[in-house]
Amino acid sequence: MAHTFAELVVGGVLFAPFVTYLLAALVLIVVLRPLLHVVGFAKLFSHASVAELSLYVTVLSLLMLLF
Amino acid sequence: MVTRVAEQPFTVAKIPVSSWTFAIRVWLAMILALFVSFWLQLEAPTSAAVTVGILAEPTRGQALDKAGFRLLATVVSVTASIAITGLFSQARDLILAAFAVWIGICVFAANLLDGYRAYAAVLSGYTVAIIATQQIDTPQHVFESGMARGAAIMVGILSMLVVNTLMFAPDRQSRLVAQLAAIRRRVREYATATFRGEPAKTTTFLALLQEIVALRPEIPSVALESSSGSVRSVAARSAVVGLVAELQAVRILNSAAVDVDSTVCDQARAALERVDNSGSPAQRLPGLVAGLQCVRDVETEASAWAARELLRRDKEVREDLLALRSARWPLRAWRAPLYRSYRTAAKSGVRAALWLAIASIFYVWAGWPAASVSLSLVALMTGLGATTPNPRGFTVGTLVGAPIAAVLTGILEFVILNGADAFPVLAIGMAPFTIGAAVLMKSQNLLWSSLGRVNLMFIPVILAPSNPQTYNPQNFLFTSLFLVAAAALLLAAQTLIPPVSDDERRMRLLAEARRELQEPAHRNAEAPEEATFRDASRIGQFLAVGGAQDPRALAEMLACFDQSAMVRLCEAKLMPLTDGPLAPLADEARAAIIKRDAPTVRTIAHRVREMAPQADSIETDVAACLILTGEILDRGSGVDFSQEAT
Repeated sequence: MAHTFAELVVGGVLFAPFVTYLLAALVLIVVLRPLLHVVGFAKLFSHASVAELSLYVTVLSLLMLLF
Repeated sequence: MVTRVAEQPFTVAKIPVSSWTFAIRVWLAMILALFVSFWLQLEAPTSAAVTVGILAEPTRGQALDKAGFRLLATVVSVTASIAITGLFSQARDLILAAFAVWIGICVFAANLLDGYRAYAAVLSGYTVAIIATQQIDTPQHVFESGMARGAAIMVGILSMLVVNTLMFAPDRQSRLVAQLAAIRRRVREYATATFRGEPAKTTTFLALLQEIVALRPEIPSVALESSSGSVRSVAARSAVVGLVAELQAVRILNSAAVDVDSTVCDQARAALERVDNSGSPAQRLPGLVAGLQCVRDVETEASAWAARELLRRDKEVREDLLALRSARWPLRAWRAPLYRSYRTAAKSGVRAALWLAIASIFYVWAGWPAASVSLSLVALMTGLGATTPNPRGFTVGTLVGAPIAAVLTGILEFVILNGADAFPVLAIGMAPFTIGAAVLMKSQNLLWSSLGRVNLMFIPVILAPSNPQTYNPQNFLFTSLFLVAAAALLLAAQTLIPPVSDDERRMRLLAEARRELQEPAHRNAEAPEEATFRDASRIGQFLAVGGAQDPRALAEMLACFDQSAMVRLCEAKLMPLTDGPLAPLADEARAAIIKRDAPTVRTIAHRVREMAPQADSIETDVAACLILTGEILDRGSGVDFSQEAT
């Protein structure tokens, strides 16, 4: 069965379902940031920015896969 | 003696490699943004390219910070566009008046903010012009136009973000640490000179103050760079506020006209000279405190207290810098408030509204076709000019830069590309222009740098890349002419109604400093250090409008700064005495400070000192603080306050 995506409707304007995932992943990353700081995520990698971008892409992909 | 070896950056064709990599990043991001916009068939791919040009900032954090504000401002402006168009849909004159008022409000807000916040404020203004003014004859398309622009901006931001991350754009944080450490070292050198008894140089103090205050708008950028960014940003902010407090402590020590006890002075100087990043001043402090045992009177105690205060400040800054390096929370998080001159901001806002109104009247009267495009460019230049110290200078720069951008775009469109419709050709064709403009933008020379920025922004605007590219010479000619006409018209409007002059700004800042000294504004939950930082930011604004050329006003400004800081420090020291047996004396001291009665303040200091149970008690500190307050009040009354501010 094909995966169905929930439409995002704001004030009668339809947004692509992908926008919902982008925003949800962003919110998750923002919520995760203090935790990442506590575990010293930035110190684990030589290029922390690439690692954080990869984490964002992982979260986004997981959201799309699971929901 | 410290020897400094300047690090020579590696250069290619006499241009640092960092400039080349920056320029290549900008070009790649612009091409990626255009490619994605074409692929998604967005209606406004030009906006995506222009977004990259605007977000061309040297570090990742700065680009991210600016991107966030650009997105926020776009949401605000699309909402405002819909509201304005909805309210005045059938009335052209009213809609233009509403635009002018909106621009005025945005410029007012921009004058109260700094850094990318100010940029966001003006962007909210001129985006309304771009979205709503260009659709003045078709109001039903305002929403669609807003959405198209928003989508393109989003693509531009994401392109910049991905390219910056994958190409390892430098972080702001590492440079900020180096800058703060260098400033701290110079503040300590300045302090050591004071201990040696050398006369304090006001120019050194002002240069340091200006450099510290200039870092304020860049600190929030650090927060976005990594998961530890927000902690580092708080530590950096505290360090900046602490540096101003340390600088102020040196000035207090400097102003202690009393004989400085040599034992105390030598120990403090030795402590400052010895303490490097590996040693802790706290370990040396007991020696200094021991020196206090041999002090002879209240005046000498005051000098010793000032020296101790300076060491305490230096230790605090050192701890903040350590917290910044190791991404730890600082011991206390200070805010770094900005001084806001509401009246100057209001005057600038009214002028901006009038310039736009004049331009609107001219375009309505001229009745040119597509004049709305030119009007939106006037709004753009008015807005961007408001974020610079000299709006008319910015307009002149644009008037010079716009024809250059038009000629370069003409060469790109009709000589190099000349009908090509393959994307790789567009990418290669744009390379020299984009990379060249971005390299120019990184130049130390202000003229070259501003020309680079203007070109980076206007080349995509005039070229207006689309899929397929139209190569319409008439469109090119019209856009170029309207761009130059907009700059010329705005310059004419700014000549007719000149922007708020530097003299006026200076006088206003001075008058406000003077008034605040007489009627101190009580802001709840604000530490004295934070209030001192606000005063320091006012001096920074004063210097930015040519304050250094007016020695008399500058002396008065500094006297106000010293007095306000000292009075606040004294009030904080008097606070613990409020509930004790010395409460009546504390009240008397407060009353004397409000009256600026230096002899009474000194008498109270002696009485407080006599009642002190031991040498290193709170009462001794209060007495020392009161003595120094008396000195600073005396010195302040020597400065000519007679000239009334206009």
